[in-house]
Amino acid sequence: MKKFFVVLLVVMLFVTIGMSKTKIQFWHAMSGWRIELLQSMAEDFMALHPDIEVEVQYTGSYNDTLNKLIAGIKAGTPPNVVQVYEIGTRALIDGEIAVPMQDMIDKDPTFDMAAFMPQVLNYYVVDGKLYSMPFNSSNAIMFYNKDMFEAAGLDPDKPPTTYEELLAAAKALTKKDGNGNIITSGITWPLHSWFFEQYLALQDAPLVNNDNGRTGIASKAEFNTEAGLNFLNLWKELADNDYMVNTKKEDWTGARKLFLSQSVGMLITSTSDVAAMNDGAKENGFEVGAAFLPTPADAPKGGVVIGGGSLWMIDGNPEDELNATWEFVKFMAQPTQQIKWHQGTGYFPVTKDSVTELLNSGYYGENPDHIVALMQLLFSKQDYNTNGAIMGVFPEFRNTFEDNVEKMLNGQLTPQKVLDETEKTLNELLEEYNELY
Amino acid sequence: MRKILPYLLLIPTFFVIIMFVYSPAVNSFKMSLYRENKFGTKTMFVGTQNFEKVFNDSEYMGIALFTLVYVALTVAATIFFAFILALLLNKNVPGTYLYRALIFIPYAVSPAIAGTLWTFLLDPVAGHVNYFFTSIFGTQIAWLTTEPYAFVALLFATVWKMMPFDIIFYIAGLQSISNDLLESATLDGAGPLTKIWKIKFPLVSPITFYLVIMNIISAMFSSFAIVDVMTRGGPGGSTTTMMYKVYLDAFSYQKTGLASAQSVIMFAIMAVVTIVYFVFGEKRVHYR
Repeated sequence: MKKFFVVLLVVMLFVTIGMSKTKIQFWHAMSGWRIELLQSMAEDFMALHPDIEVEVQYTGSYNDTLNKLIAGIKAGTPPNVVQVYEIGTRALIDGEIAVPMQDMIDKDPTFDMAAFMPQVLNYYVVDGKLYSMPFNSSNAIMFYNKDMFEAAGLDPDKPPTTYEELLAAAKALTKKDGNGNIITSGITWPLHSWFFEQYLALQDAPLVNNDNGRTGIASKAEFNTEAGLNFLNLWKELADNDYMVNTKKEDWTGARKLFLSQSVGMLITSTSDVAAMNDGAKENGFEVGAAFLPTPADAPKGGVVIGGGSLWMIDGNPEDELNATWEFVKFMAQPTQQIKWHQGTGYFPVTKDSVTELLNSGYYGENPDHIVALMQLLFSKQDYNTNGAIMGVFPEFRNTFEDNVEKMLNGQLTPQKVLDETEKTLNELLEEYNELY
Repeated sequence: MRKILPYLLLIPTFFVIIMFVYSPAVNSFKMSLYRENKFGTKTMFVGTQNFEKVFNDSEYMGIALFTLVYVALTVAATIFFAFILALLLNKNVPGTYLYRALIFIPYAVSPAIAGTLWTFLLDPVAGHVNYFFTSIFGTQIAWLTTEPYAFVALLFATVWKMMPFDIIFYIAGLQSISNDLLESATLDGAGPLTKIWKIKFPLVSPITFYLVIMNIISAMFSSFAIVDVMTRGGPGGSTTTMMYKVYLDAFSYQKTGLASAQSVIMFAIMAVVTIVYFVFGEKRVHYR
């Protein structure tokens, strides 16, 4: 009997060694229902590749994920693939901690770079090299409540397209009680620097010098222009007249809630919310519409900047894990996965064939808001201004800008002062950052 | 053996303390002299440059001043209200035990949850607080996004969170005051207020002494979660405490050197406060 167990043990040992899988870790920052969505995508992958095991971990917000990545690298136990926000691109390149995606692509003849949407590539290609795999891409879009538009005497099929029309619509939507308290207001967007960045690009203006940091390392702010002022003036005018409700810093949920509870008639937020907004509007019993972002009537026409995140392969892992990771990353960019992801969230498909497939299936006919988001991207002029700025100090810049906007809304700074102060700080930040590299 | 045994028994504790308290503390002293890039792949010795930067930053001075005001107000309010509530909870009314349990709840709630709770209550659209304000006073207040209301909301939440701890200590202290003392005071013609402030409060002064320093530490160092969840240091950085600034620099901007310098500064402040407090404060404490 004893012998039998020994034999059994030895056999089991060999079997497990024979079946040993390459384990890779995938860290992401997608909360809520998207955790399960990504898990199911990883399971599809594992079904196709029985020799690879993908451990999917939700590691908190983009910021938390980045901190965990840093801790992992310092401890010598980095994950294999990490989702990092778009504004981390420069810092990760400078940190030299990743295997450039381009190196893997060049080695793999089955992978065609031309499959990517050019708008997406334009963001993620830096110095002629693709460093990370585009995965979840979005930009800003406007949603509006068609029922509230009708009640306010506005045409529900004609959302505002210029700042002037936006102000008029917001004014019409704003209702107050006898004490001057707001019952409903015109518009909201999260108090987030991202919208400022989008609005610079929409007016074909840069954020930083050296072509937004794309032909050289960014060293000076360049947003202190009419384009920047236009947007801040609009923000201030909307806020001062109570045509707009402001949230606290980077409060996406708060802004969403204001719109879904029909307290405001319009919402500017990320296209990644298209699915959530459609469902939310249905639940709350109103009809939602999606529209391009309104711009100043006389400003040059630019376009929206890609936001969201991409997948980075982290260096310092064994060769077999590296190859397994590449298989996984490649899989995530395939049409089936991209379509699943797009339909489940609202993030764009990042490859052309996914878009073609969706068009052919008639999906966009049934989901007009999704195509609005996509068209806004396709209509965007492609130049350095709309490719988006890259710099290593993005999180600090955003926080500084948001602080200053809060001061503007509390009446302590004028729009021009916000630009001046933020410019001064950003210049110092850039100088300090560039010293280290 | 008898001499060594206590030390042997202390080893596990020391192991944990050294691992999780002393070594990180020593490490942050070291890191305050360096500048590092985000991923720690490049390090540069900068001497006292991080400290100079902090001291020359007018924004940081504002933050330090705010922290001072915040700590002073929350500690004073917490001590005062905790003592008053403890007096009430020490009365023999039916259901005292239930009230004590209910009032202790905030202490059991984690700071992040407490912050979320207050965020919900103070929500401009769906919040209960604004609902009452609109129906009673006819005004709406954007509690978390305008000055000075964000500060008021933060103060309120912090006091609410810190108070139960103090109440428990005060109740214990009040229960140990002998009734003879109070009875003789009554016979001498002392009114209720005199009894509270001339007899009860001085008699629990050792507890107050302990609670003040504990509250300062807690307001100084554990205020992070409540600030992060409720106001994110806003509006316009007006509710950023020193601790929250350390968090921002270390974990949002990955400037570990600068953040370490700040935590060394906080360490120094706390050390000075504690020493001064013990040297001058202890004389006024009445030990029985």
